[in-house]
Amino acid sequence: MTAPVLDFTLPAELEAHEPPEARGLARDGVRLLVGRGATAAQPSGDPTGEVSHHGFTDLPGLLRPGDVLVVNVSGTLPAAVRVPDSPLTVHFSTELPDGRWLVELRTAAGKATAPYAGGSPGRRYPLPGGATLILREEYSRGRLWYGDVDVAVPRLLDRYGAPIRYGYVPRPWPLPYYQTVFATVPGSAEMPSAARPFSDRLVTRLVSAGIQFAPILLHTGVASPEAHERPYPERFAVPEPTARLVNQARAAGGRIVAVGTKVVRALESAAIGAGTVAATSGWTDLVITPERGVRVVDGLLTGLHEPRASHLDMLAAIAGTPLLTRCYAEAVAAGYLWHEFGDVNLLL
Amino acid sequence: MSGPGRAPSVGFMDHGRIAVITGASRGLGLALATGLAQDGWQLIIDARDGDALAAAAWNLPGRHVLLPGDVTDPAHRAALIETATRAGGPDLLVNNAGILGPSPQPNLAGYPLPALREVYEVNVFGPLALSQLALPALRSRGGAIVNVTSDAAVEPYPGWGGYGSAKAAVEQASQVLAAEEPAVRVWWVDPGDLRTRMHQEAFPGEDISDRPLPETVVPAFLKLLADRPESGRVRL
Repeated sequence: MTAPVLDFTLPAELEAHEPPEARGLARDGVRLLVGRGATAAQPSGDPTGEVSHHGFTDLPGLLRPGDVLVVNVSGTLPAAVRVPDSPLTVHFSTELPDGRWLVELRTAAGKATAPYAGGSPGRRYPLPGGATLILREEYSRGRLWYGDVDVAVPRLLDRYGAPIRYGYVPRPWPLPYYQTVFATVPGSAEMPSAARPFSDRLVTRLVSAGIQFAPILLHTGVASPEAHERPYPERFAVPEPTARLVNQARAAGGRIVAVGTKVVRALESAAIGAGTVAATSGWTDLVITPERGVRVVDGLLTGLHEPRASHLDMLAAIAGTPLLTRCYAEAVAAGYLWHEFGDVNLLL
Repeated sequence: MSGPGRAPSVGFMDHGRIAVITGASRGLGLALATGLAQDGWQLIIDARDGDALAAAAWNLPGRHVLLPGDVTDPAHRAALIETATRAGGPDLLVNNAGILGPSPQPNLAGYPLPALREVYEVNVFGPLALSQLALPALRSRGGAIVNVTSDAAVEPYPGWGGYGSAKAAVEQASQVLAAEEPAVRVWWVDPGDLRTRMHQEAFPGEDISDRPLPETVVPAFLKLLADRPESGRVRL
């Protein structure tokens, strides 16, 4: 892994420990930090662009008619299943084309779980309801494993699973807290959280303001915050009407604003040629870096990412490192909240 | 797994050869698409039913472009080949999309000419037009054209005058194309009777469960691509 584009210290008090609803806010009541590149900014004279502070419900006024918000319609699975009579929990990350699953083993730690390095090939773990998980081979550095389960995993999760939760969220929250208003196709191990602040009402206001919406589907795998690893392949689809809308909007001068890093991954994986996308379905292992750049996406609405997270490379590819650095400095100074229940950042 | 950042060993991240397959949402087309996808090809696939195409493609390994449309539509044909070209191909064009015509099939004496014209549009003109568009890329890449045909192209089965004569036209056009295009392989491929929806339409109400599934011909198809024999008729 190359040097991180952005390194900073995240103060513990800036971690969102619970949904905004538990902090007395509406879903759409979170804060919105906007970073505009020099081309997107008003002529301010600052070549790195400008940073401004808003509430999320200001979004309609921050975009232009003809802009397209591309959203992920993947729903969150209750992807964490306890191993009975043991401190272990299995996180189901990704269903592979051959029916196997990529899984991660975790062990109880404080009020949540921590990585568990005790897995080995052929090791069997009992699951609730009499099912069994068999680890086959390592996928990544003692973290993800190829696993076989002797029952249908979606039904297992439905009956016994809970949403994946990390140490900064001390208590469990029911699955609806982990669904976005766009979620229609269950399949993500973790919530596509950039879209969490959208409410039905705000979507309606955006539509009325001439902002368009287009769906993609990408089932997210696990992203353990302890391991600053590159992403791995995820299953996605960019439907034909979305490809057409994106191409037409770009041709007409509209901006394509991805809601979430996974949407960037899907759209850029569907890019063909310079600035157009084709209807695409399948698996993507695409990693966006400043060197690779973006071909289709003009802006990104995303949460605030941890120091050294590989997603910061993608953000730098879209916003440029100087603007990104300023955004994160201001976010820390102004007390924005990190993680899936926190505040969001619009980069244009 | 061969190190950090590499894709898993199920072959779903191989980028390389690019194939256009028409009629890939079910039957033989889907079987061939699945076989090629498992072999690491990137596919540009079409079908008239976009929902069926999306559902079929969701289960393919790899990453593929879906273009719902009808091979009789010139704009759609242009989009297929243009997309394949921008993706860096095509290396292979599989003209699989086809229609049987009316079911049950009428004898030639009473074959409705508009229906016959449609059979020719889909089964003869569609593949020929796609081949015309793909040939420049196929020539430069040493690519191949596979035209799906049938024993009805050579045997005078009563009731098969529409579909069979269209496939006969495909076969003769393939032969001439092979003679005219030495830089490109042209195979006209007879997969035999298969348990597909089209075969059921040809034998309405009959039990066709004794016919093999389309997946059974995939190994022979992949071997054809690997062996690259001279252009000609191939019985899978």
